[in-house]
Amino acid sequence: MEPDYTKLKKRPAYPFETVAVAIAFSPRLEAILMETKRMVNMFGSQLVIIHVGKKDAHHEEVLDKLMNKIGFAKIKFRVIWMEGEPIDTILKLCKLNVVDLLVLGALEKENLYKYYVGSIARTISRRAKCSVLLLTNPSINPKKMRKIVVNGVDNAKTIHTLKTTHYLAKHEKIADFTVVQEVNTPLLSMTIAESGTEPEVSKIKKEMQEEDFSRLNTLINAIDKQGINIDLKIVKGKPGYAISNFARQNHYDLIVFNSPDTHLGIFDRIFTHDIEYVLADMPCNLLIVHSRV
Amino acid sequence: MNVISHHDLVVLLLGMATMLILSRIASELARSVKFPVVMGEILIGIFLGPTLLGNFAPDISSYVFPTTGSAALALNAITKIAVVMMLFVAGMEVQLPVVLKQGKAAFYTSSLSMVIPFAIGFVISWYYPHWFGQSNDTKLLFSLFFGTALSISALPVIARILIDMGLFKTKIGMIIIASAMFDDLLGWLIFSFILSSKKGADTGVEFTYTIIYIIGFGLFMLTIGRKILDKIMPWMQQKLSWPGGVLSISLGICFLSAAFTESIGIHAILGAFIAGIAIGDSVHLKEKAREIIYQFVTNIFAPLFFVSIGLKVNFIENFNGSLVLLVLVVAYVGKVTGASLGARLGGFTRKESLAVGFGMNARGAMEIILGTLALQAGLINEPIFVALVIMALLTSLTSGPMMRLFLDQSYFNNTKTIENN
Repeated sequence: MEPDYTKLKKRPAYPFETVAVAIAFSPRLEAILMETKRMVNMFGSQLVIIHVGKKDAHHEEVLDKLMNKIGFAKIKFRVIWMEGEPIDTILKLCKLNVVDLLVLGALEKENLYKYYVGSIARTISRRAKCSVLLLTNPSINPKKMRKIVVNGVDNAKTIHTLKTTHYLAKHEKIADFTVVQEVNTPLLSMTIAESGTEPEVSKIKKEMQEEDFSRLNTLINAIDKQGINIDLKIVKGKPGYAISNFARQNHYDLIVFNSPDTHLGIFDRIFTHDIEYVLADMPCNLLIVHSRV
Repeated sequence: MNVISHHDLVVLLLGMATMLILSRIASELARSVKFPVVMGEILIGIFLGPTLLGNFAPDISSYVFPTTGSAALALNAITKIAVVMMLFVAGMEVQLPVVLKQGKAAFYTSSLSMVIPFAIGFVISWYYPHWFGQSNDTKLLFSLFFGTALSISALPVIARILIDMGLFKTKIGMIIIASAMFDDLLGWLIFSFILSSKKGADTGVEFTYTIIYIIGFGLFMLTIGRKILDKIMPWMQQKLSWPGGVLSISLGICFLSAAFTESIGIHAILGAFIAGIAIGDSVHLKEKAREIIYQFVTNIFAPLFFVSIGLKVNFIENFNGSLVLLVLVVAYVGKVTGASLGARLGGFTRKESLAVGFGMNARGAMEIILGTLALQAGLINEPIFVALVIMALLTSLTSGPMMRLFLDQSYFNNTKTIENN
């Protein structure tokens, strides 16, 4: 029987009532669990721990010991063990448990084969029907995210992503975050270079920039800021690459994107665009907000 | 070593100066009345060539633009290089990620705006080759060419129209741009195949090898070659003098790629076009460098090429009214129907779909380049070439007004409201 997914429809992207973490028994397990614990405590969420694999006494014991060491006794959590194909199983469990945020550990850069074929964490982040947080350098001493940058792309989902980032910033108790508008107009430049005068070219470019600014300002004004300042930055370059580069150069802790509009496949990796630039070489942690609209 | 004589050098320089200065004046006039710049350049060619000056003042015309001798040969070589460079720039405009990003709507629009005009063009010329002065022996390659000629779009003209209408960054604008990019890519690939087949038929290179070479080269350059270029681009921009280093290496790669494709039996234009896509797609290519390459090619080499067209063809003698009408009808029906149907399937309203159809209908400079190469290769005769040039200009002129007709003021207001919300 097909499970009932109606609870997911139109469910807002935040609050993060249910946080899930997908674990493998890797050397980074403790760090991933520590980071997740910080999130769960911060948002007051309930926790679902997912492991795709056979439940056996040894692994159960390892996990129990680790949970006791970390101090999970004080939070509400469930551990789900399920055998199956990892990606589909994790995605299905997230839907069934109405997960709002899925936490995954991810390498900053995959090797070429894994990148094109698709690693588990990256494939889940492309397909998940909930928000996904990819942690590149999880630590057993987690720190709060101080610098957050959001992709302000012209898309209906962006307002939800901005509001979710504001929700996150509020819980992290940070004073501000940055919204980046990427400007990439190679065709525009080439077209007006052919048949436009210098003032005309500058005017068109300025008008387009002002249009972007005004659009983002309208979105930002729609947010009840509650003391959090939202900076607006224009960055030149290809969408996805420009913000990724900006985050790397300015040492941001978290980069926030809308969930992809279409199913991203291997062609999107070969002819890289948008979020694929970030996934190809992650400059920092990545939050993909699934607004479910 | 053969060297150009003092007299021929003077003639060559005089000819080039005349072409550049007069075409610039005509282009500025065309621009001031919002006509495509290429129109001014073509008209100057018609004025300087056998159609007008050659007819009324043949001595002046043959002195400045001789048809034989080393000056003529040098000008011919320059226009050939111009085509290679123009295709390189056309490739730089094609951004495959933009096509992928637009998803289903772009897929339907680009596919149908390619398939339907191609099919209509192919079927008509296949069943009625005599309408185009073709025989049964030549009809296959001609039909393939005619189908391709009808399916191509002119990205710069379309982009300019969209900018002027304030639609450049809207959904409708992005779909038109993405679809035109895809049509250009596929159109030039097919056209290279046709030219190579024609050359192969003359030189004995097998048909299958031609296809393998084209697909192999295209795939290599668009995947591995593109990644390699993307990796070396930051090094070029940091270590070499700027923008000189990037310019010379980029154009060097363009010529290298063109030379390679020409040497293996595929036309040089494919090498240049694909090199353009590979370089233009690099995230590291600075906008300024892109602009400089574009300015350099479109303001120096493109005018020389477009004016030279009029120098070779007598537009009055080769004007065939019924053929022009036929080409126009087939071009409008094929492209508008295909693109509109695609847009409709992609989720646009009836009016928006028709606007997409007319937006995609602009053929502009790309069609003229295509026609010139086909004429030089002996695929078409001069009356068809003239009909194609007229079709390219008329479709470019009517695109904007026809789009306005279907996108009434309420559309522009709605677009603004949606954007503001």
